[in-house]
Amino acid sequence: MISAKLPSSIPEQAVAGKLIWQKNNCVSCHTLFGHGGYEADDLTHITDAETTEYLIDFLVEAPVMRPHKYARHPALDQIDAENLVNYLEFLNTIPTLGWPPQQEQVEDDS
Amino acid sequence: MNQSITSKQQFLAQIISRRYCLSAVCLFALQSVVALMGALDLVISDLPSPIPFEYGRAIHLGLADFWPLIGTMGMVYFFMTAELNREIHSPRLARWQYWVVMLFTLSIFGTLALRLGNGREFLEGKPIFYLGICLALTLASYNLIRTLLTDRQNITPAAATMTVGMIFLLLLLLPNTITFNNPIVDEATKFWVVHLWEEMAFELTSVGFIATFFIVSGLANRTQIEKWLYLEASLAIIGGLYGTGHHYYWIGFPAIWLILGSLVSLVEVIPVGMLVHMTYKGLKSKEIHNRREKLTLWLLLSSVFYHVTGASLLGLFLTIPWVNLYMHGTYFTSGHAHLALFGSLGFVVLAGCYYVLSQGSEPTLQEYKGGVLAVIILNIGLIIMSSALLAAGLKETYLWRILGMDFMDAHLLLNPYLILRVLGGTMFTLGDLLLSWYIFKAWRETNL
Ligand code: HEM
Ligand code: HEM
Repeated sequence: MISAKLPSSIPEQAVAGKLIWQKNNCVSCHTLFGHGGYEADDLTHITDAETTEYLIDFLVEAPVMRPHKYARHPALDQIDAENLVNYLEFLNTIPTLGWPPQQEQVEDDS
Repeated sequence: MNQSITSKQQFLAQIISRRYCLSAVCLFALQSVVALMGALDLVISDLPSPIPFEYGRAIHLGLADFWPLIGTMGMVYFFMTAELNREIHSPRLARWQYWVVMLFTLSIFGTLALRLGNGREFLEGKPIFYLGICLALTLASYNLIRTLLTDRQNITPAAATMTVGMIFLLLLLLPNTITFNNPIVDEATKFWVVHLWEEMAFELTSVGFIATFFIVSGLANRTQIEKWLYLEASLAIIGGLYGTGHHYYWIGFPAIWLILGSLVSLVEVIPVGMLVHMTYKGLKSKEIHNRREKLTLWLLLSSVFYHVTGASLLGLFLTIPWVNLYMHGTYFTSGHAHLALFGSLGFVVLAGCYYVLSQGSEPTLQEYKGGVLAVIILNIGLIIMSSALLAAGLKETYLWRILGMDFMDAHLLLNPYLILRVLGGTMFTLGDLLLSWYIFKAWRETNL
């Protein structure tokens, strides 16, 4: 009954990225597949909406987070950031049966 | 065989169970304080804190699973001996088990406070510590099985149900000590704890406890209760197992789980109905209870209330695939999580812990009233907190999922609800500390 087949085998870099995801406890604020914290956006399909370069820059040069004035997003070094974004790109290939709804509009907005 | 327990403590297991229950209550008191800090952190910009939000949240979630676990371990030992009217196989093992479970639980929280973890929601600690918890669960399961087998003629349904529940706790946690590369397998396995612990294993230990409590306190007679118990337990297992499907909708599993998850979740609700029936029967049959039993009942009835509403009805609503498509991963889930996890599991464990720790004493009228007041404050706090989360979830669903607004823009509009949640949480914390204080007093009075 449990058929957890991946669409393709997971690349090594994505595995490394998964461990970075876990090490930094990203799931406490973000969700993947809708599971996780409620403080920040779901990242399952984030690579549809943003470019790889933008995401890596965001993680390396972590910005101040709204509505805070000082507190910044946790930052990663360049290699970790690349691996992590690779993992997110891999996640984007997993079919999620039409979830989340309204994805199109989110893309248009950005 | 069926006489109620006398006020003298007869069994070593019952004395040992007290340390589990006391630790559980202390961790519960700690939890609401940690949680309140986290909730404040979300509404006050740049709040300085020694532990960053993401690790505070991890500790909060770890506590949510582990104080009920520790309390349950104590309760099961206590009520096994009460039910079977004989000593457990090895009190010594039960003492060791206590130190093992406490060592590894505290290690999880300690390392998380130092920002060391494994970043899987609800299982944020390092995998090695969960292996330690598995060791404690192995000791418990072994001890309970041996206890049952020493007198095979007298295995009662309640004792068997509690034992099976404990074994399931072990089996479901074990795979979660492995690190998976495959994110789908990782997600799927996680729900064996997030879902199956709560909705199957703890369901079994709780049902066993409630049945025994009714029998030993003379609220209901044995045949009346035992008639249903095996059926109820089987349904809880079947419904629980396949009901896991309602967490598998969008994680890369085939679409069959949409149908399986939603249909089998209906089965999950049947044992809850039977539980209510059992409770009702128990209550109707006898009028006079002593204060200690009455206070236990206050806690137990609170649990039954949330079991029906926050857990089953809300859960069933969330299970409908079309609803879940939009509400999945919003604050609505968090509202359900608090109502279900604390409401139904938390209250039942508190009921058991109070009963265990007050064994051999009777609260004064004033203490009884204080206890009831604490339960009422807890209830009101929980309802305010969870309603705020449910309302926030509805608004979030509408803005984010239906209108397609940017996540952060939508989230910033939820602030009023999150402030209301802090207020509810403050009340909850007060109720929590008050209740813990009364339970602590009962423990001290009976601690010879
Ligand atoms: C004692 C009983 C229950 C407890 C302790 C409980 C606890 C929880 C928790 C902690 C979550 C959050 C999981 C997460 O954040 O990923 C959750 C989610 C959920 N629960 Fe329950 N629950 C209970 C009963 C039920 C029942 C009876 C049903 C349905 C028949 C149900 C349906 C759901 C669904 C569909 C979700 C996922 C919501 C989403 O997609 O975001 N629950 N539950
Ligand atoms: C003073 C009372 C409490 C407050 C203020 C509180 C606050 C919080 C906060 C801030 C979060 C993080 C939500 C997020 O990521 O945005 C959370 C999550 C959670 N809390 Fe509590 N909490 C309280 C009591 C409890 C209790 C007593 C339990 C269970 C025994 C519990 C179980 C949970 C669970 C399971 C989650 C994860 C929810 C999910 O992922 O859906 N909480 N709580």
